[in-house]
Amino acid sequence: MVMADEEENGVSIQLEFPKGRVKKIMALDKDVKRVSSEALFLVSRSTELFLQFLAEKSAQVAIEKKRKTVNLEHIRVAVKRHQPTRDFLLDELPPPSQAAKPDKPTQPAGRPKLDPAPRGTRCIDQFFRKPEPENTAQAPGQPPENPAQAQSPENPDQDQAQSPVPVDES
Amino acid sequence: MADSDNDSGGAHNAGKGSEMSPREQDRFLPIANVSRIMKKALPANAKISKDAKETVQECVSEFISFITGEASDKCQREKRKTINGDDLLWAMTTLGFEDYVEPLKGYLQRFREMEGEKTVAARDKDAPPPTNATNSAYESPSYAAAPGGIMMHQGHVYGSAGFHQVAGGAIKGGPVYPGPGSNAGRPR
Repeated sequence: MVMADEEENGVSIQLEFPKGRVKKIMALDKDVKRVSSEALFLVSRSTELFLQFLAEKSAQVAIEKKRKTVNLEHIRVAVKRHQPTRDFLLDELPPPSQAAKPDKPTQPAGRPKLDPAPRGTRCIDQFFRKPEPENTAQAPGQPPENPAQAQSPENPDQDQAQSPVPVDES
Repeated sequence: MADSDNDSGGAHNAGKGSEMSPREQDRFLPIANVSRIMKKALPANAKISKDAKETVQECVSEFISFITGEASDKCQREKRKTINGDDLLWAMTTLGFEDYVEPLKGYLQRFREMEGEKTVAARDKDAPPPTNATNSAYESPSYAAAPGGIMMHQGHVYGSAGFHQVAGGAIKGGPVYPGPGSNAGRPR
């Protein structure tokens, strides 16, 4: 359940995070007694700036590694490159044994055919097969492998999983 | 086809053991908001893995605690009980996030103007100039009474004596309207 707390509808000061949740996180520190509305506003806004910064740096790392999906290792590298962020975040990140997973499974695409061949076209592997009358008459098809031809990224988590978001800010 | 999903779910770190900890989910910002802002900052064709979103969710909560802790320490040294905006700007400078201070001052300026408009709309009296540095305060939430639904926390900046639970028609308790700018500060 997303609590969309938007008191101010001004675009420039519209907060992305629910105020109550930000206050609750601030109050996890037992020494935090009272927080002014300005302070709460500044923390929410600075958290947005930090999140944008972290996302942009992680995207740069992913691009350097020729990846389209941002994963844990890219975030870790991005955190390491910024000294103030590294100071308070590096210990909080998951251990490298989890983050340093192989980027993609090494599986060579050795399929004999990618598309259903036109009629009359000889198969490339026909040379290695025994001469059979039915083989020359009709090309053997492999339908269950063709839909899997899409080069799926390492993490196929789609953004469609964010369907519980009811409000779409401009 | 070893298309294994990258679910390292349940491998959350045993972070700081804080006493009187609220529900686990309340320690983080909503992942939908986090994902939306991340997507805005990324190229159009970029994707984000699920555990990356969850890790960033934890990172931003850690950022809030980090900044808040520094500001709180400053308040204690100066024998003040209320964390105000200047404390947070100072904390960000001290902790190495000075690049955020200038944008935040701009946001704060607009925030104060907005508060002034709402005060006029709610009380129908003249608003003081936006250079007023008085900050009102309100208590941090009680863990035993975490309210559901929309939490309305309204702290007036312009010299109000205390916490105002209700501020007339300026607080919108109805449906959420997605962001027309001309609607700011007007009760409906």
